[in-house]
Amino acid sequence: MRGTFGENLLVLFAVFAPLSLLSFGGGNATIADIAHQAVAVRHWTSDRDFADLFALSRAAPGPGSMLAALIGWKVAGIAGALVATVGFYLPSSLLLFAAAKIWGRWRGSSWHQAVERGMAPIAAGLFLSGGVAVLRASPAGVPVWIAAGVATAALLYWPKMHPVPLLVVSGAVFGLIDLLGATP
Amino acid sequence: MSEGGSMAAAEVSLSAIFLAFMRLGCSSFGGGTGAWVYREMVQRRGWVDERVFLTDMALGQSLPGANGIKMAVLVGRRLKGGAGACTAAFAMLVGPFAIILVVGALYGSLGDHRSVHAVLDGVAAAVVGLSLSSGITAIARGTPEPSSIGVAAVTVLCVGVFGWPMLPVMLGLAPVSIGIAFARTRRTA
Repeated sequence: MRGTFGENLLVLFAVFAPLSLLSFGGGNATIADIAHQAVAVRHWTSDRDFADLFALSRAAPGPGSMLAALIGWKVAGIAGALVATVGFYLPSSLLLFAAAKIWGRWRGSSWHQAVERGMAPIAAGLFLSGGVAVLRASPAGVPVWIAAGVATAALLYWPKMHPVPLLVVSGAVFGLIDLLGATP
Repeated sequence: MSEGGSMAAAEVSLSAIFLAFMRLGCSSFGGGTGAWVYREMVQRRGWVDERVFLTDMALGQSLPGANGIKMAVLVGRRLKGGAGACTAAFAMLVGPFAIILVVGALYGSLGDHRSVHAVLDGVAAAVVGLSLSSGITAIARGTPEPSSIGVAAVTVLCVGVFGWPMLPVMLGLAPVSIGIAFARTRRTA
């Protein structure tokens, strides 16, 4: 990060905009590429810094990760965060909007309906896969599986319940158990 | 809010879209944002029809981009066209963007306490519950045929259990599932 302010912003955009169009399967698909660019190629962060920024972006709310914003912020402050975020989200959003518009033109034809019906169960399977993938990655094991089961049942039983209180309670219970276990 | 089953999307103002998606952006912890949008837009508010949402989601999954933003663009577009899509996507990002900068500024002074990881595990478990309940609801309500359950199960096996990349799995499964649906509509027609 030796360039002028303007150059840094340009480079940020040039790094994140192509990644936007390569993020098949969601923003997480590009994390390895972002790490490679930020640490090895551009020397924006150290390995340790990158790991911390990644953990932070996971703990904070938001769609996908705000990793791009954090790295942009590290390189060029608020303007950098803005440029990285726009670069990471805008190109894929424009592409999607155009695709949805073209797709909408065929509304009503029988094959359009068949596609809609055929794609719905795949989308449902992807919801389930997201849950399974997090369970498999979690280092905490059985307690997380049990809590996840309870949360699933509660959300199914009360379809209008807002999920945030459930997150807070679940996080608080795990934190308390850990604190009690740490200080006998 | 009309309860007509065939209605694709409700009549909603831009400011309502902005507020709803800003709340969604700020409250969707732990990834799986698609499930958050589903619960809020289909189950809680009833702004978008279930079938429409799931089709849009499948379209979004076959293109690049962060899943939450993709659903904001698609649902916003259903509600209010281009203006709705821009509003929803911007609203979804603005809260988390501000929060992450504050968190980033605090970073270093927080340290990494062990219990923080435990709390995050608890949060993750609830997020898993959100994904699983959304998937179960989508199968049970939208598409009750055995073939649909089979397709959903194969998707879970390939993507969730085996951890295969999503795109080739979808490219393989989509023609099969669409073919079954096409055969079914011709039979009933």
